[in-house]
Amino acid sequence: MRIETCYFCSSRIYPGHGIQFVRNDCKIFRFCRSKCHAAFKKKKNPRKTKWTKAYRKTAGKELAIDPSFEFEKRRHTPLKYNRELWTKTIEAMKRVEEIRQRRSNNYIMQRLRKGREVEWQRDVREVQRDISLIRSPAAGLKQRQAEEDTEMDVEPETIEVVDAKGRKQVIEAPVMVPATGEMIEEGGDVEL
Amino acid sequence: MTYKRKKYHHGDTHLKKRWRLRNRKKDLDQIDVDIKEENAEKLLNQDVDLDLPGSAQHYCIHCARYFIDDQALNEHFKTKVHKRRLKALELEPYSIEESERAAGLGNFKLPSKRKIETQNTKKADITNKDGDAILEEESPNKKKKVDEDAT
Repeated sequence: MRIETCYFCSSRIYPGHGIQFVRNDCKIFRFCRSKCHAAFKKKKNPRKTKWTKAYRKTAGKELAIDPSFEFEKRRHTPLKYNRELWTKTIEAMKRVEEIRQRRSNNYIMQRLRKGREVEWQRDVREVQRDISLIRSPAAGLKQRQAEEDTEMDVEPETIEVVDAKGRKQVIEAPVMVPATGEMIEEGGDVEL
Repeated sequence: MTYKRKKYHHGDTHLKKRWRLRNRKKDLDQIDVDIKEENAEKLLNQDVDLDLPGSAQHYCIHCARYFIDDQALNEHFKTKVHKRRLKALELEPYSIEESERAAGLGNFKLPSKRKIETQNTKKADITNKDGDAILEEESPNKKKKVDEDAT
C-alpha cells in the first residue's frame, strides 16, 4: 500500500481516497478528489492552474530545487523487516522533513522580502511624483517673489556685504565690476 | 401565452459532450512521444486502412488527425487550430513524472521550450511548388500595375 500523488495538484492520496483513470496506453492518472478529476476532464493545464503544486513551483513561488528533495524515492524491491533499519529510517525521515520545511520557509521569506523592497521603492517614487498633493508648488511663491524683487532693486546699484564681525557694509556695484574683471584676468594667468 | 422556444442558457452540455471518454483524442504528452522521429515516420507512412479518413494516408502528427487528401491536409496546416497546437507543443507537456516531481519526489525541472515545425513531407514539396507558382503569378500582376502607373 502506498501514498500516491495526485496527477493534477500533486497532493497525497491515501488508500481508499480519490479516483484513477487508466488511459488506453496503460498510463495511470490518479486524482485526489473530484475537483482534480473534473479539471483533468476539462483538459486544464496544471501548470496554469494557480492552486496546484506544479503552478507554484514553475512560477517560483515555492522551493523547487534543493538536495533535500532527493531523499524521497520510489523503491520497487521489497525489503525484509529489520527493526534497526526501520527506526533509523523513521528518524531520517523526520530529520529530512524538518530541514526541508526550514529551507522552504526561508525561501518564501526571501521572496517576500524582495517584494517589500519593490513596494518601498514604489512608495518613494509615488511620493516624489505626487509631492504637489502634500505641499503645494505655490507655497512660498509670494515670499520668493518679494525676495527676488528686493534683490533686483538692490543688485544694480549696491551690494550688502556682511563683515566677519557682523557689521553691514554697503558697497556700490560699479566699484566691484573692475575688481571682478581683475580677478578673472589673474585666474587666466595662473591657468596659463 | 406563447412559450419560449429558444433556450438562452446552454450550460456546458455541448462541452461535456466533447469531454466524454469516447470522444477522447490524443493528449499532448502522447503527441510528444509521436513527434519523435522513429515514431513520426511510422505515423506518416501508414498502411492503407479503409476505416480511417483518406485511408490513413494524410495524417497530421501534431493534431493527431486524419485528412481525406493532400489538399485538406495542406489547408489544415494554415488553420488557427493547427498553429495553436504547435504553440501548445512548444513547451514540454505536463506528465505524471512532473506531477511527482512537483510533489517533492526529486528536484523540480522547469519545462524546456523547443521549436516545433509543421511536419515536412513530400506533400510539403508540392506546397513549395505551389508557392513558387503563386509568386510567379503575382509578379506579372505587379509588373502590370507598375506599367499602369507609368502610363
